[in-house]
Amino acid sequence: MLTSSFVCPATVSRPSKVSKMPLYVLRVCMEHATFRIPSLLSVAQLYGFSIKFISEDADRGIVVIELDDDEDVDKLLERGTLILPAGEKLPPDPYAKPSSDLRLTMLSTASRLLAQADSYDQLHAYLHEHPEGLRPYLDKNFKFFVEGINHRIPSSRQRKSIDAFEQHGYTGKAAMKDPEVEFIIYEEYDLNEAHSHEKSHRLERDGQFRQVYFCVKMGESRARPLIQAHSVKTRSYYGNTSMEAEMGFLMAGQALPAPGKIVYDPFAGTGSMLYSCAHWGATVLGSDIDGRQMRGKGQGKGYVPGVYRAADQYGVRDRVLDCMTFDITRGPWRRGGWLDAVVTDPPYYRPPSRPYELVNLTRDLVLFARWILVPGGRLVFFLPTVSEDYDAVDVPVVEGMRELKWGEGSVQDFGKWGRRLITMEKTADDDGARPSFDDSEAVEVDSGAKIPGHFQFRERYHEKFTPRLQPSSSAASPGPET
Amino acid sequence: MVRLITHNMLACHVKNCTKDNFPLVFSEVELVIRESEANYDFLRRFMPKLDWPALVDTARSLGDETLPDDQPEEWTDEQLQALHHVLMEMHVEEGNMTCRGCGHVYPISNGIPNMLLAEHEVGR
Ligand SMILES: [Zn+2]
Repeated sequence: MLTSSFVCPATVSRPSKVSKMPLYVLRVCMEHATFRIPSLLSVAQLYGFSIKFISEDADRGIVVIELDDDEDVDKLLERGTLILPAGEKLPPDPYAKPSSDLRLTMLSTASRLLAQADSYDQLHAYLHEHPEGLRPYLDKNFKFFVEGINHRIPSSRQRKSIDAFEQHGYTGKAAMKDPEVEFIIYEEYDLNEAHSHEKSHRLERDGQFRQVYFCVKMGESRARPLIQAHSVKTRSYYGNTSMEAEMGFLMAGQALPAPGKIVYDPFAGTGSMLYSCAHWGATVLGSDIDGRQMRGKGQGKGYVPGVYRAADQYGVRDRVLDCMTFDITRGPWRRGGWLDAVVTDPPYYRPPSRPYELVNLTRDLVLFARWILVPGGRLVFFLPTVSEDYDAVDVPVVEGMRELKWGEGSVQDFGKWGRRLITMEKTADDDGARPSFDDSEAVEVDSGAKIPGHFQFRERYHEKFTPRLQPSSSAASPGPET
Repeated sequence: MVRLITHNMLACHVKNCTKDNFPLVFSEVELVIRESEANYDFLRRFMPKLDWPALVDTARSLGDETLPDDQPEEWTDEQLQALHHVLMEMHVEEGNMTCRGCGHVYPISNGIPNMLLAEHEVGR
């Protein structure tokens, strides 16, 4: 099972029951694999249900989970950004040629698992031994869908696989339109063998799957299409720092946005984070030191600032409480303890008003969240880091705040650098002291101490990340020799 | 569109300005009312965070007399609707917010307040 220090109410094991809990299969995209489990756990936490991961390998296009009932699946479909809906072109599946021949008419999203086996013989044998799972569906008008994961199954064999299910005594009719039940067969192949596009290799590999799943489809993701709807390309207002929609929604999900909650982005820029949090019902606040980012080019009476135009486009204008121009380190907030979440992508890419070492900015951000959040509130932010230098110590340790981390954490990897999505929770019950944002003290780097991976990030970004000399030869992550 | 809920959370942050730095006083206001759906749960949850006298004074300065002097212990739906109107539906699109302590003026244009300070004004 999972090894993690992340203790989330969603994973607390329940007293075992005699009857087995229903298992569900989620067809998920291969991108952003390290964001998967945290995302699903956040949905579970928000709605207060438990979720248990039966399989969670990062290299698989399928996640098998255990839930109490079907209603919980619906919540995942509402918010599960990484869950694939029907008809979506397959994302970077290494097997997918960048051409149009890979057209999947239907990609499942969430389904109820009826049987799972190493081979079709075993699968059918299981269904004969346990007919109760399939029985309620036998007299319904049905449709079958077969999909190979990391593999494309020739249509002739798809047909054959479907036909073999006749042996279970179907009395319903095949119905391509408006079926009463949709069955899905997933054949799951190893990812590392999926490199060849050669037809001969494909035929040779066909049928050599790792696992076959037989499921009843429950629904498609309603969150996934949002990525298209919120695409920066079609946004009425955006800037060169606007976050791509998918990452915006993944990040927003970690803040547990919901009606009645207030979410704040202190580096709002053109407002990307505000729209995704507002979409899920939260009331949002934004501020930025650079007012032009929020306003856009126009001015004069009656001009509608860019952030409000984009919010209008997404139908969330009323949920944008306010946008303000100020420097968060010199901010005018009167008191702490009133925000449900702080979600932000700190501005490592644009010059701030004064030199501000990212190490200090990150620490101050955590201290600020400690002060302004309600107990249990969340801080979600990106931490840019040079990959080879990263170590877990880089996330500031602040009394009253704890990191919610799953495994190695969620990383968007750009090669020489990456950014980690950090999710923290306020554990303190009090507001504590207002942070001073006093960055006059220099970051001291003792010889032998670990230098945080985001130390001097801005400088190193411009130096194209030539490896820095480690202060000690015993550093845990030696970089390549120069 | 500075809303009064936001205004209630803002104080002057000019260096060494600690007396009478809240609430900021509106002037030359262009007010727009935008109706919206009330969320009473949200209002109830937010009430303890409000500075009530400041809210009442500010609402009255903008011509809204619906809020009682003292924060009610038990709220009627009518009172909640009035609170919703004051906090969420009154938008200051243009105008100024002035600090009673140091006199600093924070201008609002196109609904966005400019609360940036000059270098000599910063610090607490
Ligand atoms: Zn002042």
